[in-house]
Amino acid sequence: MENRRKLLGAAAVGVSAALVLGACSPPADDDGAGGASSVSWIVNQAGGGWNHNTPEGGSVYVIQMLHGVLPVPGHWDPSGEWQWNTDLLVNTPELINEDPMVWEYEINPDANWSDGEPIDADDFIWTWKMNSGNEELCADNCNSRGTLLTAQFESVEGSEDGKTVTVTMKDGEKFPEWFTFAADGLYPAHLAEAEGFDLDTPEGMLESSNWFNENPIPISGGHYLIEEGAALDGRVVKTVNEDYYGDLPNIEEIILEVNTEEGSWVPALSNGEIQGAAPASWSDDVITQLEDAQGVEFGIEPGGSWEHVDINMDNETLSDKALRQAIFMAIDVENIATRTYGEKFPEIEPRTNHIFDNNSEFHEDVVTELGQGSGDSEAALEVLEDAGYELDGETLTLDGDEVAPLRLRYTAGHVAREIIAELIQSDLAKIGVTIEIETTDDLGGTLSEQDYDLMIYGWSGTPAFASSPSQFWRSDSGSNYGNLNNSEVDELVDKAMNVATPEESAVFANEAAALVAEEAYVLPIVSTPVFYFYDTNYLSGVTDNNSQSRRALWNQHEWSAVE
Amino acid sequence: MLVYTARRFAVAIPVLLAASVLVFLMVDLSGDPLSDLRMQQPPPSPETIAAAEARYYLDRSIPERYWLWMTGIGGNGDIGLLQGKFGPSVRGGPFDIGEQLASGISITIRLVSAAIVMALGLAIVSGVISAMRQYSKLDYTLTFIGFLALAMPTFWLGALIREGGLWFNKTTDTSFFYTIGANSARVSNMTGWEYFLDSAGHLVLPTVTLMLTSYAAWSRYQRTSMLEVLNSDYVRLARAKGVRNSVVVRRHALRTALIPLVTVATIGIVGILEGVVIIETIFQWRGLGYFFIEAVKAKDTFALMAWLMLSGTLVVLANLIADVLYGVLDPRIRYE
Repeated sequence: MENRRKLLGAAAVGVSAALVLGACSPPADDDGAGGASSVSWIVNQAGGGWNHNTPEGGSVYVIQMLHGVLPVPGHWDPSGEWQWNTDLLVNTPELINEDPMVWEYEINPDANWSDGEPIDADDFIWTWKMNSGNEELCADNCNSRGTLLTAQFESVEGSEDGKTVTVTMKDGEKFPEWFTFAADGLYPAHLAEAEGFDLDTPEGMLESSNWFNENPIPISGGHYLIEEGAALDGRVVKTVNEDYYGDLPNIEEIILEVNTEEGSWVPALSNGEIQGAAPASWSDDVITQLEDAQGVEFGIEPGGSWEHVDINMDNETLSDKALRQAIFMAIDVENIATRTYGEKFPEIEPRTNHIFDNNSEFHEDVVTELGQGSGDSEAALEVLEDAGYELDGETLTLDGDEVAPLRLRYTAGHVAREIIAELIQSDLAKIGVTIEIETTDDLGGTLSEQDYDLMIYGWSGTPAFASSPSQFWRSDSGSNYGNLNNSEVDELVDKAMNVATPEESAVFANEAAALVAEEAYVLPIVSTPVFYFYDTNYLSGVTDNNSQSRRALWNQHEWSAVE
Repeated sequence: MLVYTARRFAVAIPVLLAASVLVFLMVDLSGDPLSDLRMQQPPPSPETIAAAEARYYLDRSIPERYWLWMTGIGGNGDIGLLQGKFGPSVRGGPFDIGEQLASGISITIRLVSAAIVMALGLAIVSGVISAMRQYSKLDYTLTFIGFLALAMPTFWLGALIREGGLWFNKTTDTSFFYTIGANSARVSNMTGWEYFLDSAGHLVLPTVTLMLTSYAAWSRYQRTSMLEVLNSDYVRLARAKGVRNSVVVRRHALRTALIPLVTVATIGIVGILEGVVIIETIFQWRGLGYFFIEAVKAKDTFALMAWLMLSGTLVVLANLIADVLYGVLDPRIRYE
């Protein structure tokens, strides 16, 4: 009896140990290369799909995971200049005709996918059909996240064995940033065909789009190849593509680790578990930890996103332009910039254009001249008095009626926006405008339902700007949340999209921005700073690139391990 | 007992049904799962948004959606709890809620089972010692440690233990402790022993954190229960008969004193899932806790519903098991 009990006890301990150490035998597959130089890099959110052309896959996180795997015709460099991929292309594509717009890519004859198949016109054609927005080319719109440029294509054709690709836009259609076609990467059309999808039918295209979305791409047309077992919400291991047609990278293996807990980044860095990151979000706490860390380099720069205050034009009180102008004049943007990001990034300055960052070659200051963002409450009161308002003590009245309190909203938990809201509340109290601060857990829903009087939120972007004015301000745009309705603005934003060069487009974009400022519809606050960091004991050659979603990974092929 | 168990199972069904209605309504009404899609730049076309609404059944009424979620009848073949399908995830096609839950469960079980084994062992030992040496310095010390662990927020405790691991690594110039993940990336190249060390190195810090959060309460139960039993007549009788103290404590007192702990621990084990949410986030384990947090962040309604229903089912089951265990362990209790 006693022995049986002991036996049962031992068995119980055994079962517990088995549970504890469950799966404590290595997985069977053993074909990993085990690079001599291996870098673990944090991606701070999970991806949603492997096809970056879809809404689920079109996040910066997936684009980072796929970087170096899908061939790209070109990219934005850190200064915001477009650079063509000279490994893939042997020419510098230029417009060979302006009406209709036509351009050509000449693909490197040696440029092949890692399975030996050529990178050719079929891959460009697949990208066009995928994003064409044309039901005859791709069923259900192929679940594309963006058809703006590609929907204007008349044709994409191959010649010279598919190594020359000619893109022709429809008659009368122009787009100044034509060169950004396929900028996030080309997918291998031959692989989709090998899977049995008929790419000449809309249904076949849709199936291929879904297939690319559900499966990590097993071949590469770039520096790195994704290993088996990659997980969008876990770990993506990329090893050198030995068959790459250009110079091979120095780092043999890049492991992208999805890590959503910012508090764990610096401890993991100092423990040697990761070598760096370029997070999409700002964190004072992480930067404070980095300041004390040894052997770490980190940098802070204005990022692609910008914060702004929007007004709901359908609000009865705010339908008065004078009140809107006074509100924007009373807000002290410089103070906001200093108090939100200034402690860790003293170089921060107020943003003075809705479309162009202060460092952009196209930037024109459209708000300072109007006194907006100056925090000049005296000037704001003058505007109000001229419009018939009176400040009685701390109360603003119009024709004897008190101006109703206004609801200012922002996303719950956003530390910087909380500070911005409180400062705006304080600034506007000086002109008798009462602000009631409310948070929202559903930014998209709140905006689309116009459930706000004033709203603080952010837009993100790349140096490609031509479509942004239309998206933000066109009277029929789904993203014109505050419902600006100005025919002059509509005309200008259309023109900004329908010219052949960025220079021409910028002129119209700036004119539209000036009109929007005049309307006092949106007040730009700051370009949100971003940071990156890496272990200098281990890695060199890392620089951040805020002009593209890939951030510091943009030149991963140029990194090298410290000896 | 069988009749009682069957009756309890029967009662559990309407309870779970009511839970499903609550879970569905609370999650479904909490926000728009497509709000991130609507905010994307450049904005998706209205056709893309309409297709997404159809894909996630947002074009149906709330009662229709509940019916679909429960039965899957009238759906696209990807939904229906009763068919074992949890619905489509807004995180895209590759994210299968059922698969992710299963994978999360296996990872969480690894973490939780280690923590439970350690917490129960420590709670029993410290509870018994505290009871045997009531009001001694040792009792006060163990009581203080218990209350400290109880009072400390889990995220803070986790961060402290992580720092402790880092300090150990630095001091000993080793890399035994890992602070993120359940395993390193290159496990396929490891020998069995290397893999064991790697797993252990990843397991220790989160396990100790989880263990401490559970140990504290359980050790207090064990102390109280042990004190009660030590003062009972049958223990006094055993001592009066001349039975050795160690035998009295081990065979007579401890067995009886374990009964309340077993029932408390059964329900407590399910409660550990709450602690796991924070600990898996701190240490970046891809278990059930991480699944929950990411589902909330992504406004992934069907994933959230699946997690909540799983938790609800586990709580109902744990209550049932605790009741049944009570009857099995305590001969004074008989279920009719």
